[in-house]
Amino acid sequence: MSTTMLRPPRNRADPRVVPWWTVQWLLLMAPLAVAAVAAYWFLTERPLRLGAAVAVFVVACLVLALVAPRAYYRVERWEVTGEAVYTRKGWLTHTWRVAPMSRIQRVDTARGPVQRLFGLADVTVTTASSAGAVKIEGLDHEMAAELAERLTAITQATPGDAT
Amino acid sequence: MNAPGLRPQAPEAADHAGDDPDAREPAAQRQEGWRRLAGRSLWVSAVKSLALVAGAVAGLTRFLLGQDWQTGGVVAACAGAAVLIVAAVVAYDLARLRTSRWRLTPERLELRSGIITRRHHSVPRDRVRSVDLKAAPILRIFGLTVAKVGTGENSGEHSELTLDPLTRNDAETLRRTLLHQHDEREARDGPLAELRWSWIRYAPLTVWTVTGTALVLGALYKPLNATGLKPVTSEVASALRDWIVTRPLTAVPLLLAVNLAVGVLGSVLLFAESWGRYRLEQEPGRLRLRRGLLTTRSLTLEVRRLRGVEISEPLLLRLGGGARVKTVATGLGEKAGNETEDAAALAPPLPRDLAWRLAAEVAAAGGDSHAGSPMDNPMDNPAGSPADRPADIPADTPADFRADFRADFRGTGAGVPAFVPHPRMARRRRLVRALVATALTTAAVAAAAALTPWPWVRAWVWPVPLVVLAAGTWAAVEGARNLGHALGGRHLVSRKGAVVRRTVALDRRGVSGWTITESYFQRRSGLLTISATTSAGHGHYEVVDVGRDTGLELASRTVPGLLEPFLVRGTTVAKQ
Repeated sequence: MSTTMLRPPRNRADPRVVPWWTVQWLLLMAPLAVAAVAAYWFLTERPLRLGAAVAVFVVACLVLALVAPRAYYRVERWEVTGEAVYTRKGWLTHTWRVAPMSRIQRVDTARGPVQRLFGLADVTVTTASSAGAVKIEGLDHEMAAELAERLTAITQATPGDAT
Repeated sequence: MNAPGLRPQAPEAADHAGDDPDAREPAAQRQEGWRRLAGRSLWVSAVKSLALVAGAVAGLTRFLLGQDWQTGGVVAACAGAAVLIVAAVVAYDLARLRTSRWRLTPERLELRSGIITRRHHSVPRDRVRSVDLKAAPILRIFGLTVAKVGTGENSGEHSELTLDPLTRNDAETLRRTLLHQHDEREARDGPLAELRWSWIRYAPLTVWTVTGTALVLGALYKPLNATGLKPVTSEVASALRDWIVTRPLTAVPLLLAVNLAVGVLGSVLLFAESWGRYRLEQEPGRLRLRRGLLTTRSLTLEVRRLRGVEISEPLLLRLGGGARVKTVATGLGEKAGNETEDAAALAPPLPRDLAWRLAAEVAAAGGDSHAGSPMDNPMDNPAGSPADRPADIPADTPADFRADFRADFRGTGAGVPAFVPHPRMARRRRLVRALVATALTTAAVAAAAALTPWPWVRAWVWPVPLVVLAAGTWAAVEGARNLGHALGGRHLVSRKGAVVRRTVALDRRGVSGWTITESYFQRRSGLLTISATTSAGHGHYEVVDVGRDTGLELASRTVPGLLEPFLVRGTTVAKQ
């Protein structure tokens, strides 16, 4: 019996996304860890067992913040062909998205403040469907601008209203 | 452009343009042509203001009697208030009518309105996709109707222009003119569907029949209290409570029966009002739906906007053998606030075989409009085509319809081929979910029983996990049984749902991309979910828990060439 699979898209995000995502995760996790430690220190009688649990929690937060970006970097991929935009993401739940060039209505690039420090940008490709936006994350910002330009040129050359 | 579509409007114009000399001269009309809304609207607003008057009079009477006024004084005050209110409402409407002008030029439909803030609203005629007419009972008495002209775009407030109100003739002329329609090409050959009053038997088959009465009473309780009936309502409530407590064996069944009877009556009345005089016609390039016993509505849907049809069968309706038909169309808004029906609804609940036939016809109508588009290439061996698997038509499809079903598919390509069921793992997944839900409920119940101070909780709480288990198992088995998909010449058909079974036929040319997801547990079962994104309806339609190979091949064949470059086909032995 033959098996059919989706091949991974060709390109990875820029390697700089790993430090960027790490920073993001740390920004998310550090307050959690600090809050846990503070709660333990000020609100409890500091029993040893609970202390151990809090320590494990803090370490888990930090490990997650360090490991998750690397794991995501391994699975996130993208590809743009002449006919379609193709992405894969997700670690536990894999999600593949395909948007044909002929249906693309809008191409956006976005750069957050922290993202800018790393010289990265996201490209979002929107189709007529409310559910069909395809996001390519963590590209080199010049490359992202170039890609957006290319996509816009292709979609403008396509006739019809793309619905 | 489209000048032939502009029909002369002189006969109707005389109706309301009495003091507008411009409207009478064709030459002036071309340059200027601004027309007024129907002046009879004043009468309508006068009548409508009476409701306001009633409320005010009730409040005023209560207040003044509380202040020890004489009856004569109270009557005089009420009369004065009534006159003031009616005058104010009519004056406002007069100002609104005087400041509103509309005109139809060969290029655009324009409306200038606004008493304080002037607005100029303009819709290009070639963008007009719908002209919906709606006449509430009072408007109907005065021969008026409200026309809503839509461009079928989702975006923003500028997609709709409302002329409130026009005379019925004007509105009808406007509808025909805007939609380039000529009398001689009216309905093709009879309506697609027309109301049969026997369908009213499906009206009570909703959850609202059981819960509606209680909800309405609950909703009324507060306002009734506010209008000074609080002593009455609280007395009734306490009497009812006493009755239930003292004689539960008579009171409870009786109350439930009354509740049900009121619910049935309410749903039947609602059905009659919403769907009385229902008629669905196919006109060139569009579908026209007319319905409403008291408030009449006429909705026009451009076939160009149609991307498919949905047959929805909620549990009660399904058990009763009925189904509903809805459109999958672009730019169709969600249910408007005061509407009793979904904007996408094409028909009242009707017998299942008729629903399928209507859906097939509507789908065929949608397909016609695309004929000759570049993606209209013939299919390479569609999965589950009738030739391959003739025996797979669901057993619950009416026998006489099965033949139709297949003939229809061969004939127009718009019908539905046999459904391909999904792998057994899909059912196992659902059963596992039901068991997990049961385990969690059991744990919660055990905790509640251990912690509660009341002994009766401990005695009565144990059936809960059993109910969850039974309902969950039923939903799992039914949900898995209802999973299915099919690929027709024009449509991708998918079906899912245990409580509400939805069968969606999505035009393959309306698919604007794919989202394919595979969760951790799906991956272990060799399943995935493919979701076709589209600009119409909900925005995406899924084929849930389909086998990995089948799903990917299905997606690849539905839109030829789109997914193909990203697939790899191996010949290793599959795990299944």
